[in-house]
Amino acid sequence: MMEQNKTKNTEEILGMANNLKWELGMGIHDKIVSSLYADAAQIARKTVSMDGDKPAFSLDRKIDKIVTSRWSGFPIMFVLLAVVFWVTISGANYPSGLLASLLVDTLHPILKSGADSFMPWWLSGLLIDGAYLAMAWVISVMLPPMAIFFPLFTLLEDLGYLPRVAFNMDSLFRKAGAHGKQALTMSMGFGCNAAGVIAARVIDSPRERLIAIITNNFSLCNGRWPTQILIATIFIGGMVSPFWAGLVSTGAVVGIAVLGIAFSLIVSWGLSRSVLKGEASTFSLELPPYRPPRVLQTLYTSLIDRTLFVLWRAVVFAVPAGMVIWLVSNIHIGGLSLAEHFIDWSNPFAVVFGLNGVILLAYIIAIPANEIVIPTILMLTVLVTGMSGVGEGSGVMFELDSITSTESILRAGGWTLLTGINLMLFSLLHNPCSTTIYTIYKETKSAKWTLIATLLPIVLGFVVCFFTAQLWYLFAWGFEF
Amino acid sequence: MSSQPNCENCPVHHKGNLVRLGIDMDKVDYVVALAGNPNTGKSTVFNNLTGLRQHTGNWPGKTVGRAEGAFSFADDNYKIVDLPGTYSLLSTSTDEEVARNFILFGRPDVTVIVADATRLERNLNLVLQILEITDRAILCLNLMDEAKRNHVEIDVRELTRELGIPVIPTSARRRDGMDELVAMIAEVASGKYICKPHRVRNHTPQLKHAIDTLSKKLRETYPGLPNAEWVALRLLEGDQSIIEALQNGILDGLVENETPIAI
Amino acid sequence: MEQPVLALVLGLVAVGILIWVFWPKKGLLARLGKVRMSSQRVLLEDTLKYLFDCEYKGIACNLNSAAGNLNISADQMAKLMAHLKDMGLVVFEGHNIHLTDTGKSYALRIVRVHRIWERFLADETGVQHMDWHGEADIQEHQLSLEEANRIAARMGNPAFDPHGDPIPSTEGEIPPFLGRPLSSLKEGEVAQIVHIEDEPHYIFEQLSALGLYPGMQVYQLDVQQGKITFAADGNECVLTPLFASAITVQPLPKAEPIQEGYQRLSELQPDETANIVGISSYCRGLQRRRLMDFGIVPGNSITAELRSASGDPVGYRILGTTIAIRKDQANLIFINNIKKEQHEQSA
Repeated sequence: MMEQNKTKNTEEILGMANNLKWELGMGIHDKIVSSLYADAAQIARKTVSMDGDKPAFSLDRKIDKIVTSRWSGFPIMFVLLAVVFWVTISGANYPSGLLASLLVDTLHPILKSGADSFMPWWLSGLLIDGAYLAMAWVISVMLPPMAIFFPLFTLLEDLGYLPRVAFNMDSLFRKAGAHGKQALTMSMGFGCNAAGVIAARVIDSPRERLIAIITNNFSLCNGRWPTQILIATIFIGGMVSPFWAGLVSTGAVVGIAVLGIAFSLIVSWGLSRSVLKGEASTFSLELPPYRPPRVLQTLYTSLIDRTLFVLWRAVVFAVPAGMVIWLVSNIHIGGLSLAEHFIDWSNPFAVVFGLNGVILLAYIIAIPANEIVIPTILMLTVLVTGMSGVGEGSGVMFELDSITSTESILRAGGWTLLTGINLMLFSLLHNPCSTTIYTIYKETKSAKWTLIATLLPIVLGFVVCFFTAQLWYLFAWGFEF
Repeated sequence: MSSQPNCENCPVHHKGNLVRLGIDMDKVDYVVALAGNPNTGKSTVFNNLTGLRQHTGNWPGKTVGRAEGAFSFADDNYKIVDLPGTYSLLSTSTDEEVARNFILFGRPDVTVIVADATRLERNLNLVLQILEITDRAILCLNLMDEAKRNHVEIDVRELTRELGIPVIPTSARRRDGMDELVAMIAEVASGKYICKPHRVRNHTPQLKHAIDTLSKKLRETYPGLPNAEWVALRLLEGDQSIIEALQNGILDGLVENETPIAI
Repeated sequence: MEQPVLALVLGLVAVGILIWVFWPKKGLLARLGKVRMSSQRVLLEDTLKYLFDCEYKGIACNLNSAAGNLNISADQMAKLMAHLKDMGLVVFEGHNIHLTDTGKSYALRIVRVHRIWERFLADETGVQHMDWHGEADIQEHQLSLEEANRIAARMGNPAFDPHGDPIPSTEGEIPPFLGRPLSSLKEGEVAQIVHIEDEPHYIFEQLSALGLYPGMQVYQLDVQQGKITFAADGNECVLTPLFASAITVQPLPKAEPIQEGYQRLSELQPDETANIVGISSYCRGLQRRRLMDFGIVPGNSITAELRSASGDPVGYRILGTTIAIRKDQANLIFINNIKKEQHEQSA
């Protein structure tokens, strides 16, 4: 009986609440928030006083007037970002070389001979030539630029400048159906796409956050810059006189990066109007007061939070990939390695896209990190062409100090200017590295969006490469007559 | 020693709830929740209390998810849970739900609300919402150094009186006021300091009428319900967790424990 | 050597097919998704819904009006009605048709699902307000009551749909209809808009474009043959009786008419301060709550502070914090009492 009474009472209460809601009309939530603010205002009036003579935050306002002004806003932003990139690229060069010579040139032979003394050849090959070398490569290419880029970026963030960038850039991104804060996740993506994807957390609107995550891969990350620079120097700089070579190849790399930004905006526009149309969307952007950053703590936390975190993820993925790379070039079936089988088989298909089987295989097995794409391509090219005197044997990735000898390997592998251009395009437009794919899954918790973010760029990449290649062939055919 | 650390009524012994919320209850005497608007220096307070170094960006919405840490003071172990920074508990974003459910159903012993002294009025919105659902709270009035720099003065005594909870001015970046904060956490957690939190008064007449009608009915059904007005308000807002609490009879439990333990 | 030409043609065709399949709104996938199952059940349910609407508003309805509403022939409708009668859902009284109790509760269930879904679209998704009704018309036949209830629970059991109509309770209760068409309001009467009819579509579009929304106060200024003049939240509007009858109002006998016209936040110039009056009900869901969290509630004062370098989001100072608001959002926030800010006059 008691129980029944309770249920009846509960129903009565709920029914009563419903009737009262109808009586109150729409916007109960508005009324409740209004009463809260009324109380808050009352309390604030009693307890807060401001010094009338000196308006609060006058310095902040003056700074804001300058950094958001129609005339100086964008120049200041571009100069600051350019400084960050310049410091990163020029500052990372030396430590990167140092790390490479230590981990790859010095430590690798020592480890290899040490391991060979007590392991069978295949085990030492798998562990040292495969796993260790991939890890060493990822660390030496990835660590220095990230250790410089992220703290600089974090300093700007702590200062309070980044929200102003989002504020200034918003109208461009709004037209693409995105959020101004995507300017920041994109910039972060130029350092590392996985970090850019994580940075999309600051976007609190579901639709715009997904857009920022899915399009982050169009920001050329620091694992891809070296590839772009190397190929541009060899194939595009090589077309003109040495005097212009530097300028022309730099222009080509910047062109690819700008193309990436354009793709990012176009794809954002398409996504916001198609698959993501129904996702909830809001815009909110707070411009917090400027605060003097604490440099030491920033250095420490950005190293731990971003650099090491991302590096760790990359290493975890690179180690098994290194093993796979070694295995495919050392497991033989019918006299040819798995790698050669695949390359032979995929070559006709790849030529349609202006690429070759080596590139396709390299992008498949080097999926964990873009950093090891070039070493893998070089190793595979040597393997396929059967060149002697270069490289360190099948399955051992390598890079050469001399650009001319790198070029001769690639030319021997049948590379042309078209292969170079399409590799640059494909390096921009292909699936994200596995670290980024994993991060996208972690951030969206959705297999669907992860799949879209993975497949969309690679489909685009194949389409763009196809048309470039076919138009190229068409012109080449035309010239013959 | 005004309270027995092992009393069955102490909210810390809502072990079931806390375990469900992912908190390891071994060797923890008190649970402290850290709430506040984004960009108020909440993470700095958390780092100062726990010695951990979470990144604290000058960027709203930086800390996502829930971080946990611990500290001990005067022989007691405190577990501190850093809730996501939110502007409100009423909007239904995931962050806000996490924060709200933790304070409501996790029943922390103390909720420390970190507020930005330079923009107190805006922060009070969240403070008042938290005071509607918990009795044991402390206002940590952070960024006092910046308030001074910007010529904002706050009458802390008056604020304490208005809110009915202790107010501790701090400048967490310089560690000012952190000792006082820890001491106050201990006092409120142990029940030495009994809060009389502010309840919202400025409802529109229509809403006030609706709340009165419904809370009267609630009191008839559940005599001794101390914050029937709040339950009524939640029902009018259609809060499903409260409706379910009512249907499953959990409301009785929620009600008894809401009373401050004054021993 | 015609290979590249052939390949290019094939490639273009492939891309063309992809675009044709995936193109938003007009693509094959989108079209397939839109093909409405117009089964017998859908027609039956739509008829019940129409009959309920008539009874709720106290309008008599017959076979012809029902056929017109559903856009089918009178013959078809007669068959449908006979079927409904066999199921015990309707009874005939001369030319008039009434719902039985069972029929009414069936209709209320569909209405509940429809309105919950509209509310869901308005509050939780980015679907534009023009599309709410159409989408809900499809969902009402597909979503079960239990699913709708779960969605409602997650949204805090709303009592009204975004057009201002009450959502029937799970028990099938619905408050009595109190509204009158705007066209029936006498000169000098003050009322509140409680509903804007979403059908036919062109009328709804026109009324939305005028900025009219549920919750606004209206003050009837002048009623003439073919022309109704009224003030909506202080701004003068002129409508034909046909358009005015799509607006349902509830008289507020004691209310004072709002004198001064409101302005939109987007009109506030830098260094001007104004008083916030409210947010349009077309700004809903997450976006609305977010704005309120920032302090955009009636009574607070707001100052335009910064224009961004590209001009669009403008930084507004409210409760000591600077918030960037886009122009299309600022258009939905109403203010009055604009004053020139007098700060920084000190040396």
